[in-house]
Amino acid sequence: MREKRRKLVTWSMIVYELRNVTGNPFIHIFGVGMPVLMSILIARMAVDQMGAAMARTVQTSVFLGIGVLIPMATILMGYSVMQAQDLERGIPVRLQLFGIRSSVTICSRVISQLIFMAAAFLVYFGVGASALELEAPCVSGAILYGVCLVVFSVICFMMAHAIAALIKKFSITYCVVMILYFACMILGGMMGVSYENLSSPLKAAARLLPVTYFNRDFYTIWIGDSYRFGPMLQSYLFFGAIAGILLFIALKRERVRK
Amino acid sequence: MEHTELVAIENLTVRYGKELALDIQSPVVIEEGDRVGIIGSNGAGKSTLIKSILGLVSYEGSIRTRLGMEEIATHMQFNEYTDSMPTRYIMEAILQTKISKNEKLRELIAYFEFEDCLRKKYQKLSGGQKQRFTIIMVMMQNAPLTFYDEVTSGLDFETRQKLVEKLVSWYRDRDTGLCIVSHYYEELEQLANKLLILDQGHVVDYGKKEELFRKYCGRAVLILNHSREKEALLAKYERLASPEHLIALACGSEERERELVELLLAHNMDYTRSSTDIEIIYTNAKERYYRKGAQA
Repeated sequence: MREKRRKLVTWSMIVYELRNVTGNPFIHIFGVGMPVLMSILIARMAVDQMGAAMARTVQTSVFLGIGVLIPMATILMGYSVMQAQDLERGIPVRLQLFGIRSSVTICSRVISQLIFMAAAFLVYFGVGASALELEAPCVSGAILYGVCLVVFSVICFMMAHAIAALIKKFSITYCVVMILYFACMILGGMMGVSYENLSSPLKAAARLLPVTYFNRDFYTIWIGDSYRFGPMLQSYLFFGAIAGILLFIALKRERVRK
Repeated sequence: MEHTELVAIENLTVRYGKELALDIQSPVVIEEGDRVGIIGSNGAGKSTLIKSILGLVSYEGSIRTRLGMEEIATHMQFNEYTDSMPTRYIMEAILQTKISKNEKLRELIAYFEFEDCLRKKYQKLSGGQKQRFTIIMVMMQNAPLTFYDEVTSGLDFETRQKLVEKLVSWYRDRDTGLCIVSHYYEELEQLANKLLILDQGHVVDYGKKEELFRKYCGRAVLILNHSREKEALLAKYERLASPEHLIALACGSEERERELVELLLAHNMDYTRSSTDIEIIYTNAKERYYRKGAQA
């Protein structure tokens, strides 16, 4: 009589979650439209200010920096808001009552988010390559950019899941992740004030964010110049530790509740 | 025939903060083939009981079951789904099937006239359509134990009747357990063979419908709409507790029943005879439970 347990990953659940992600218009606006537009506008403005001789360098640097907005918008913002809304409405419990374990839902969501993010990057690079003059990367630079994005996305996912699980309310979660999103953009130097022009306390805060290194330093790594990875690594460890602690608290609270 | 135990509850206490929501001391056992009607007024603990069995609320005491969460199909009082996609995709993902390739599912969809709703998003469905959406998926689960928590609330009379008919025919030859929470006693008359009567978190009684009727109402009961004229005419006869708009006359023996029927016929008064009326069982069980409590 006992039913067969569902697999952790099924194609139908991935497709379901993918529909869930793509059904959210904000993800398209903030996760695809905004990075594409921002990279083109800011890159062209920067070239106007710095001169045509620097065009490739400036445009590539801006393009690589703005790219980090894609995981931030799709995962940190999009996933947390979607998850909080679902929790508020009791959707995960409803799915569990149909025998879909939360681990299945989470696995399907991770995969669907990654698929959406990969598609978003394809669009981003496609439009970027046709609209901007981008420097070709060295092999290690391209690999490192990809690895850093994946690691950053995983951290964003942990943080998003924890925030949604701790708050459980759509409105408050939306508010918190929007603050985080814009704080990261401002401190990362994407809102018109570069890292060098920040005050000392803000510089200290900016150094703890991986976003800063994407925006400020990744051009150096992209073209294969020598680079000190220590501070960037520290920022990942710091950001990852914060996300890990939040997730630990969220999961522990969930277990106590059960 | 020996039936296998599905769920056994004993010494169960559920609290919401300091408030006692449910307190079940004597064992309540649900077996294969049981059709348990769970009745009680609002706040009686009906939904809390279901949530306890499903492990959705924390409790003290014992709920023994061999069933996993996925082996208990549940229609909750409130069921929510994503609004990001049409309902057909939600249905296919949850049931792990394709509507086009699943004949049984297509039949259910047709029976509940849900075809046109498959293209709509969940938020665009009416209350009744939302209920039907969950019912189709719950029925498709084919689980050993199924809960229906106020499954017909929000449905119009015709749809409600149709749904109950469907539930009756669907579960008729099945040996699965079924627990139905409902405020519509006439639905439970058709669906339930056992009753679990709850009030303010306590079990008033639990048992087979017929046994409970005999215990609280006797052999049979004649039910009339209340009026002063009837009140005066029937004053000398034994009355059972009943809702204010009704008069319930106990028929302890065949002779008494005949006497009452003749009297009512002579005065051209309409009446209903029953030996299973759930509303009268409920009213009398509750009355006796509190009378006993007051005496104690």
